[in-house]
Amino acid sequence: MRRTSFSPARQIRRTAVGALAGALALTALAACGTSSSDSGNGDSKPGTGSSDPAAPLDPKTKVDLTIDCMPPAAKAAELKEWKQDVATFNRTYPNVKIVGRSTPGQCEEPPRFTAALKAKSQPDVFYSYFTDLQQVLDNNGAADISAYVTDKSVPALNSIDPAVMGVYKKDGKMYGLPTSNYQMGIMINRKLFQRAGLDPDRPPTTWEEVRTDSQAIAKLGGGVYGYGEYSAENTGGWHFTAAMYSLGGDVVGSDGRAAFDNATGKQVLQQLHDMRWTDRSMSQTQLLKWGDLQKQITADKLGMFLAAPDDIAYMVQQLGAKYENFGMGPIPGGKATLTGGNGYMIKQGSSPDKIKAAIAWLNFKNLSPGKGQFEWARTKADQLPVGVPQPNFFTGDVKAADLKSRTDNATMPVANFAPYLAKPIPGKAEPPKAQEVYKVLDNAMSAVLTNKDADIAKLLSTARTQVDQVLANQ
Amino acid sequence: MSASTLPTREATRPHPGAELPRQSGFARALRRNLTAHGFLIGAVLCFAFFSWYPMVREFLLAFQKTKDGRTTWAGWSNLSYVFHDPAFWQAWRNTLLFTGLALVLGFVLPFLVAVLLNEFRHGQGYLRLLVYLPVMLPPVASVLLFKYFYDPGYGLFNRVFELLGLPAQQWLQSTDTAMLSVVIAATWMNMGSATLVYLAALQGIPGELYEAAELDGAGLLRKIWHVTVPQTRLVLSLMFLMQIIATMQVFTEPFLLTNGAGPEGSTTTVVYLIYQYAFNFNNYGGAAALGLCLLVLLAGFSAAYVRLSRDSDG
Amino acid sequence: MSTRTLISPATLGRTRGKVVYWTVFGLVMLLFTLVFVGPLYWMAVNGLKSTEEFTRIPPTLVPHGVHTDNFTNAWRVMDFAKLLLNTLWYAFGALAFQLVLDVAAAYSLSKLRPVFGKAILGMMLATLMIPAAVLVVPQYLTVLDVPIFQRNLLNTPWAIWLPSVTNAFNIFLLKRFFDSIPRELLDAASIDGASPLRTLRSVVLPISRPILGVVSIFAVVGVWKDFLWPMLTLPDPTKQTLNVGIYSLAQGVPENWLTAALAMASIPTLLIFVVFQRNIMSGLTAGGLKG
Repeated sequence: MRRTSFSPARQIRRTAVGALAGALALTALAACGTSSSDSGNGDSKPGTGSSDPAAPLDPKTKVDLTIDCMPPAAKAAELKEWKQDVATFNRTYPNVKIVGRSTPGQCEEPPRFTAALKAKSQPDVFYSYFTDLQQVLDNNGAADISAYVTDKSVPALNSIDPAVMGVYKKDGKMYGLPTSNYQMGIMINRKLFQRAGLDPDRPPTTWEEVRTDSQAIAKLGGGVYGYGEYSAENTGGWHFTAAMYSLGGDVVGSDGRAAFDNATGKQVLQQLHDMRWTDRSMSQTQLLKWGDLQKQITADKLGMFLAAPDDIAYMVQQLGAKYENFGMGPIPGGKATLTGGNGYMIKQGSSPDKIKAAIAWLNFKNLSPGKGQFEWARTKADQLPVGVPQPNFFTGDVKAADLKSRTDNATMPVANFAPYLAKPIPGKAEPPKAQEVYKVLDNAMSAVLTNKDADIAKLLSTARTQVDQVLANQ
Repeated sequence: MSASTLPTREATRPHPGAELPRQSGFARALRRNLTAHGFLIGAVLCFAFFSWYPMVREFLLAFQKTKDGRTTWAGWSNLSYVFHDPAFWQAWRNTLLFTGLALVLGFVLPFLVAVLLNEFRHGQGYLRLLVYLPVMLPPVASVLLFKYFYDPGYGLFNRVFELLGLPAQQWLQSTDTAMLSVVIAATWMNMGSATLVYLAALQGIPGELYEAAELDGAGLLRKIWHVTVPQTRLVLSLMFLMQIIATMQVFTEPFLLTNGAGPEGSTTTVVYLIYQYAFNFNNYGGAAALGLCLLVLLAGFSAAYVRLSRDSDG
Repeated sequence: MSTRTLISPATLGRTRGKVVYWTVFGLVMLLFTLVFVGPLYWMAVNGLKSTEEFTRIPPTLVPHGVHTDNFTNAWRVMDFAKLLLNTLWYAFGALAFQLVLDVAAAYSLSKLRPVFGKAILGMMLATLMIPAAVLVVPQYLTVLDVPIFQRNLLNTPWAIWLPSVTNAFNIFLLKRFFDSIPRELLDAASIDGASPLRTLRSVVLPISRPILGVVSIFAVVGVWKDFLWPMLTLPDPTKQTLNVGIYSLAQGVPENWLTAALAMASIPTLLIFVVFQRNIMSGLTAGGLKG
């Protein structure tokens, strides 16, 4: 399958189904309230148990729980931590048996995921991207867990960014809990910045600076370019969206129609066109997709591109990059930035006890500050990377404490991320029917990057007509 | 021609069962049928599950839709969805362009190469081997190789052009040349098998025909046109149909060379669009509807092909 | 070569003819070698370059530094041996299934002539009219959940083997060949009391060697070259075919490693090809039009 081996991060950001920005804001509000007293009489009516969903799991209850995305044997240190966590968890819930399933590649590969949903062969607790919700619901795949998630079952609930909790909600019902999330920023190659006489601790914060920095880097010559951008396999449309958000624009408006055929859209495309054709600070090789720019920047041929923080981990683990050569800044423009992430859902038809056990486990492993995935001292001791600002969904004091712990235990130069962290930017989810919208926008992106005489106004109006068609086509 | 080394079909085919002795009776016929179906059953089951059932399912899917876990009849809405997809017509235009270019390059070129090779008294084995070599390489390896060659920066082709004093090209990076570049790569990968088939056909042409033509004062081109082409007509028409059927379904080459869509969607093919619908948009109904369109268009060519190859040994 | 071709021997006999012949011949030899062997050279050489040199402009024709670790890294990362074994396992499994089931079916349709045989043959041939690409989606859904058996064949060799049996073209070729076997031969065996199976084994198959060779080559080459179907049905990286494995690799390793991988993937092909070239060539030209 064509998506067999890319980083999960790519899909997190790419496969978007649903998650209207507006609905997000609404559900985010609802997420704060824990008073949802209606006892989950939705499509996942508890079958066997008669207990109150809000009551905690009775430690005496025997439950077997299959769950995917356990680290594979090849990732020995992560697997060791998983086993430790299961042991710790079993001290409180000795009768819950966690049966982990591991996959050699990424935790979710869309075709395999689609296949599992179609065949209803997903485990009790299954990994998914933020943008998978609609697809899962279309396949009757996930249980409604609204009534089970309270500040008793998830104590940190009120310290979790409501926007992040909102991504697994539809029509006021909750279907999943997040594990990780990201916000897009700009990644830079610190070596090239230095060589070009730029300050690597000051990544560009405006698009004008991106342009001038890019020119300076491209002057180095020898196939080195300043800025890189995608324009294929729907990743071009995805990054167009990110750039629109950064300038305060939108791709699909609240009226459900295309919202990019305007001055902002023109600005985004015009800048790319000018960097490619006037400044020649972008490569002649275009039609790139996720993975290509990571290779270029690792090979010291590229100065900067839009990315999520965990791209660095991907580059280090797969491409042999060195942490210290890369840094991140907030997205230029900085009005808003694209967000995404991944988490777990619980299979439709699971008994109330299973749901409770699953939530207890997910809470312990993924949502408890200082425990599970947030036990940074242990992560450091196991020689795994600490310091990437991802996941990043806590708010207030909890966030501050977690950040401090990460900094104290960092295994990489956290300072390289300082500009990214110093300026929090409001997150914004992907547009509805994202993949189909992105496919249309890919054309506009590839046009300005491969055609010197591209007519930007015409490209935008054509794309608007087409996106409106896609959106009207329900 | 294609079957020149196969024995020819029996002239008279006995009527089924005619040669059975009269006294065999019902029981014997039953036993004979059971045995015969026993031999058939494996293949028939495979066909039933993996060919006939999917065929039926294709039609059903095209008129169904699944939303929030419920599958319902969708009437013509999938087809209308597909027709209203802006990429639909573009994909068809691209596919037809690919087919057209592939006919010029992938159909004519192997024939000319075969005619040329057939004249050589030396090194024919070596040359045949060379032409056929790419056919055996894993196609993904060949395609990725061409992707590097086409790179406008560090690519081999622009380097060669530069050495020859020709202007650098954008290859896959421009709407003008993207599809042509895909066809060139596809031709390199696939022309070997067609060349071999033509060579075999050419070797079946009686030499006297050329002699006769020469007596009439025919030159080289006229000999090709009046002897070689008519003598290989059957193979040529079969290859022609096959080329159309195969190239209309092109997927791997544009998918790997241009990451699917290409500059401004200029290498989006119909099959790539089907793939996008099914596996990226989770829209199986749309994919099936699109498949139905391709089916309708190609059915005529396929029928002609089956008919022609059935008669080819007559 | 004794047969007379387009150019008359008389023309070739003349001095001018000889000059033209040898010039053209020399040019063609050179051009073909460049066009068809050149890329292989490029692959081997660029697989040895460093990441930086690989994308240098202008490209270097001979690598400045030799990095053989590209090859070892690519071998390790893609688990090359595993991919190759997988591919052979799928290819020869498909071959076995086709040889057994398709030969039996063609034999039955040709010689045993059951009731509805004509109709079954017609339905099989009808599948030739459905473009393979059209069936990919419904076939994929079928493999996910095979009706009646309720099995999910994803990530199992069955997903390759069973659909490969539905090769109507091979059945057609086989049946046409069997049709040409004289009735008397089989009748003689039958009078000796041989069962249909025995007749098939001891009379039909021995004289069908050429066509079996052709069908075998189609079966193996079909699996060897397929990309979309194994990509969809074998998503598990440990179960992938060579083609899909290389494709997966292309997404996540530096370009020079990938090129090293391409070079390695081409080597077994070349070996197999050199060893079996005679069979492959004759099979292709005999079997006509598929490949």
